[in-house]
Amino acid sequence: MLLTYRHLGGLGVALWAVTILVCLFLLVPIVFIAALSFGSSQWLVFPPPSWTLRWYRELAADPRWLEAALTSAKVGLLSAALAVLLGLMASFALVRGRFRGRGLLKALFLTPMVLPVIVFAVAIYALFLRVGLNGTLVGFVLAHTVLAFPFAVIPIVNSLEGFDKSIEDAAVLCGASPLQAKLKITLPAIRIGLFSAAVFAFLISWDEVVVAIFMASPDLQTLPVRIWGALRQDLSPVIAAASTILVAFTLLVMAAAALLRRRISR
Amino acid sequence: MAANASVPRRQWRGFGPAVPALVLLALFFVIPVVSLLLRSILEPEPGLQNYAELFATSTYARVLYNTFLVAFVVTAVSLLLGYPVAWLLAIMPQRYANLVLAIILVSMWTNLLARTYAWMVLLQRTGVINTTLMKLGLISEPLALVKNLTGVTIGMTYIMLPFIILPLYASIRAIDPTTLQAAALCGAGRWQAFRRVLLPLSAPGAAAGGLMVFVMSLGYFVTPALLGSASQMMLAEMIAQLVQSLLNWGLGSAAAFILLTVTLALYAVQIRFFGGMR
Repeated sequence: MLLTYRHLGGLGVALWAVTILVCLFLLVPIVFIAALSFGSSQWLVFPPPSWTLRWYRELAADPRWLEAALTSAKVGLLSAALAVLLGLMASFALVRGRFRGRGLLKALFLTPMVLPVIVFAVAIYALFLRVGLNGTLVGFVLAHTVLAFPFAVIPIVNSLEGFDKSIEDAAVLCGASPLQAKLKITLPAIRIGLFSAAVFAFLISWDEVVVAIFMASPDLQTLPVRIWGALRQDLSPVIAAASTILVAFTLLVMAAAALLRRRISR
Repeated sequence: MAANASVPRRQWRGFGPAVPALVLLALFFVIPVVSLLLRSILEPEPGLQNYAELFATSTYARVLYNTFLVAFVVTAVSLLLGYPVAWLLAIMPQRYANLVLAIILVSMWTNLLARTYAWMVLLQRTGVINTTLMKLGLISEPLALVKNLTGVTIGMTYIMLPFIILPLYASIRAIDPTTLQAAALCGAGRWQAFRRVLLPLSAPGAAAGGLMVFVMSLGYFVTPALLGSASQMMLAEMIAQLVQSLLNWGLGSAAAFILLTVTLALYAVQIRFFGGMR
């Protein structure tokens, strides 16, 4: 009875009450930020006395915000490209390789996902201090590629496991070179996995804060680093505007990805 | 002889494509992390004095205590709030379930800083929560909800809830509803059916989610740094501060090593008892 929706009775009301409260708890802060970013109050009074685009104009007038957004996009795209390329190759080894220690290799590939980010951040910061990669684009990309790598490997491995290798072998028997067969038969077949990998990898980098804080210099900052810096000074509504743009962009990428995935899979 | 010679080659068949990724992770992940950990026993001089200092100094011991306390409370509250949601989510009509799942996913993928900023504003002395409570006459003075562990706990619970709900939802969904009907037929009341059937059957999901949230909370940096205060730090903040501001790499690495060990040990428990991360 406890797992039959129709027979819950009074218990159902209680469960719904908690569920609605939790949903509000999850949703309200996000809506709240968006509302504040259009509100006219410098002191973040809520509900805002009137509505304005002033904070977005201030944001646009400050070239440092735009630079940060561009850096974020650059780092995100490069890390995603690198993570997907290395992840694709690694997936072939993980799925098709027959060597000892394959389980260990897989565990290593997934570790960046479970290791506390702060430990990795401090470690890579120490290394990059020594080799002079702190505050460089290369440093950002390398660090974010490591973090994004597991998120690229998982969907690619999953889709490669679901792909029947005999189709690729058939192409080779028909005269294609092994590389040709992979490029023309296998890659198109696992395109959804590749696509998910790219989207996840990009978003991991785009939203990443902790490593970026260590990696950043006054001249090279990603958007989250800039927001972090601003937050430590005051709670200006300009941050609400920047956060809203950041969130809107993430949701846009996810929605576009969901749509595209549906189209590709047809 | 020829067969012998080919054995090592066969053992590495198909390994080649993994090499670039392996090189990347070795150079920029394994080596930096290992050499960081080595610094904890090598700096300023070889020995375990960094660890001794961490546990003996009351300030640092306090940070460790705060960290475990907050992680525990966050996990407990998330489980209490998340369980009913996961339960209803598993059995509610699909169209509602899709909506609730969408809300959970949107919240999960909303930038961490944006969400933390929202709580900084909501919880501050002049924030919506305090002004509303004062207007309602429930309090006469604004409550100190931020810049302390209360703020950290609220903000982290908010972030961790989806990580509890989703695995619990999966494990409750996998339970066959007829087992509950059987319990009812055998004369079990609702409470008994819950305690003796539903709860034990969903326990693996709860444990897996709870353990994951506990581990993630231990190493959390951003939310405690923004919603907490310097006098009530958590472990990740302390590591960052030791390394970045105080340049005390030995002590910072020792703290990092403790965090790493606890994290990996708890994940090992999870993999051993609950079959890995899903």
